[in-house]
Amino acid sequence: MSQDRPNNHPEPKVGVYVCHCGGNISDQVDVEQVARQAAGLPGVTAARHYSFMCSDPGQQMILEDLTSGRVDRVVVASCAPALHETTFREVLRRAGLNPYLYEHANIREQVSWVHHGPGATAKATALVAAATAKARELAPLMPIRVAATRHATVIGGGVAGLTAALDLAARGVEVALVETTPFLGGNLALLDRTFPTNEAAADLLTGLARRVLAQERISLYTCARLTGFSGYVGDFHLSLSQAPPRDDETLERLARFGEPGPECQPFRGVLPVAPPNAERRIELNTGAVVLATGFRHYQPPEGEYGYRQSSRVLTLPEFIALMAAIPAGQPLAFEGSPVASLALVHCVGSRQIPGIHEPPPGRELNQHCSRVCCTASLQAAGEARERFPETTIYELYRDIRSYGRGHEDYYLKASRSGVVFARFNPEDPPRVEADDSGDNPLKVTVKDTILAGEELELGVDLVVLAVGMEPGPVAELTQLMKLPQGADGFLQEVHPKLRPVELASGGLFLAGTCQAPMDVGEAASAAAAAAVKAAGLVTRGQVELEPFVATVDLARCDGCGDCVAACLREGALTLIETAAGQKARVEPALCLGCGVCVAACPAEAIQVAGWSLPQFRAMVQAIAQSGAEQGGQA
Amino acid sequence: MHATAQQPKVLILASEACAYPGANAVGQAHQAYSDHAYILRAPSPALFPPQFYLDCLDQGFAGIIIMSCGVECPYEGAYQVLAQRVDQAYQLMKTRGLDLRRLRLTAICTVCNRAFLNEVNQMTRLADEIGPARDAETAQAA
Repeated sequence: MSQDRPNNHPEPKVGVYVCHCGGNISDQVDVEQVARQAAGLPGVTAARHYSFMCSDPGQQMILEDLTSGRVDRVVVASCAPALHETTFREVLRRAGLNPYLYEHANIREQVSWVHHGPGATAKATALVAAATAKARELAPLMPIRVAATRHATVIGGGVAGLTAALDLAARGVEVALVETTPFLGGNLALLDRTFPTNEAAADLLTGLARRVLAQERISLYTCARLTGFSGYVGDFHLSLSQAPPRDDETLERLARFGEPGPECQPFRGVLPVAPPNAERRIELNTGAVVLATGFRHYQPPEGEYGYRQSSRVLTLPEFIALMAAIPAGQPLAFEGSPVASLALVHCVGSRQIPGIHEPPPGRELNQHCSRVCCTASLQAAGEARERFPETTIYELYRDIRSYGRGHEDYYLKASRSGVVFARFNPEDPPRVEADDSGDNPLKVTVKDTILAGEELELGVDLVVLAVGMEPGPVAELTQLMKLPQGADGFLQEVHPKLRPVELASGGLFLAGTCQAPMDVGEAASAAAAAAVKAAGLVTRGQVELEPFVATVDLARCDGCGDCVAACLREGALTLIETAAGQKARVEPALCLGCGVCVAACPAEAIQVAGWSLPQFRAMVQAIAQSGAEQGGQA
Repeated sequence: MHATAQQPKVLILASEACAYPGANAVGQAHQAYSDHAYILRAPSPALFPPQFYLDCLDQGFAGIIIMSCGVECPYEGAYQVLAQRVDQAYQLMKTRGLDLRRLRLTAICTVCNRAFLNEVNQMTRLADEIGPARDAETAQAA
């Protein structure tokens, strides 16, 4: 398992640890050979491989080498650095060494998952050689400590935003809650009852809004949008622009409200305070930002399952509102006529398949599963059968995914209450058209795969489309805050399991459906997690920033000022007078660490710590030379 | 796809915020590309002076792809500086008679899988076709 060398090397002493990642790496890369080759590299005093380097035994292996003095800097060859770089730096810290005497070789995402056979081993060997060459050049670094503002900003006033704001405030954090509309409640306000408890959405929101308005630590800014964003974790600067609402839809919705207050009006939301009557700009200093910008329902284009071609084709939220508006004991009716039968179509705007579905102009297909619409459809069908037993209901589905606790009960209830299920293939979706026979307004034709593809013709009065969840309109925000998005357009966390509510940029957190489709309970859980993370950050008093900022070698600096002229951040680099003449000086908390100054310096007197040109040159040389000594097999 | 002694290497300098996670996204999708393309991450490729690229070619690389964040760069203004520096590198390459196709500036986002693969495939094909820069110079001198 190891290829140790006598511990008689001069400093530095590099330990190389090659991870199998179960079989994720070792199925394609000969990890033993990589470790063996690494053992022969200059400065390497231990080279080992193990099934899971990130596991406790894996970390212990590294720790023992560090504490015994066998190694004093570490290279781990494993998954992408975003996942475990911090984990392995912590091992160095636990051993009493500087955590930045660490370098990572990415041999999973950039080797074993994209290459196969001897070539994968050769490339892994080269990347380990490069990481080792850099590790030999590493110097201890100290994190930059800056004061953290005991304040957090929550963007979005839906259930996730309200929950996050309340949880932050409960931990003693001052909170700015920012909502672009005059209303609180988000998409939850547009629902009737939530699953699996069947609580009224309006009651839930009234409770949350009451607590938010009563909480002195929460400052609420409605009709406000983010227009400026700068700073760093612990000390962000936000500019908000607050303006009276002007669009017709919002004005119409506002007209239905009386006095502002915490009471949620079903299908309208909460009007917590009167909208502003003049524009104003608000500046905030905040330590962390929780993004709770939510989602939007997929809007079918005209013609998709007859949508907008027939007024009798509704989306599921529209159908839920229709049912809620019918008094108890009254039959289901639409536009004054009774609804004897209806068809619910699943996966509308979800799980779209290239080649089968057409993306709307300028947009991508929604290839993701929206997760909650199956249960929402089953809930609606079950409720409809219970309240309107005279109405026949067909559920046309691709797969039923009632995945959460208690969600399967909705399937059982719908099934037992007489809902008729038919399964279709996405290649052959149901067709919705006017019923020429005149018996019903609409005819739905579907090939039921359960009945060996038998074609069914269903005469119905309504068609209900179970529309999926799409990312909310966050283009402006992602541009301003440089937020990462996944291929599905939702905001992307660092890691779905290890850092599920954090963005890669320090101090930014995700809450709720801005991250992925989830139900109300999951959105609230994510919001609570984000609040705890954000509170843990801003209540420490100070934040440690990564030390990867520019540093000046005063002996080399001749004070020419080229670096200052090149610098992108005002105040980060200045010229000062010293006994040895004019020299460049870095303000670490302001330095972006971009390295633009590095290339500008004719004397190479300025480098970014941890990313210096000599380190890059060492890596380039190691890769260039790798393989030459093994006849190309590295 | 296996690198041999005859297969020239391509160096990819990838921005830490966009292109490097973009390369990882390609890995997560298990989309194969040439194993003689090597990726190094950098906070921003704007930190490399023009001469650095020539030094890399001198080390034996056949081509270099600079994968930046483009206009999405988290360091406002860095992309424009980078573009200027790459221009300067091209000037240096011209004076040496080096094929300008060996150095390419691109913008790759965190989910630009297709663009990433396209760039890597193009450059590795070119590398296979024209070989390492230093070999070409040696042949030219002879």
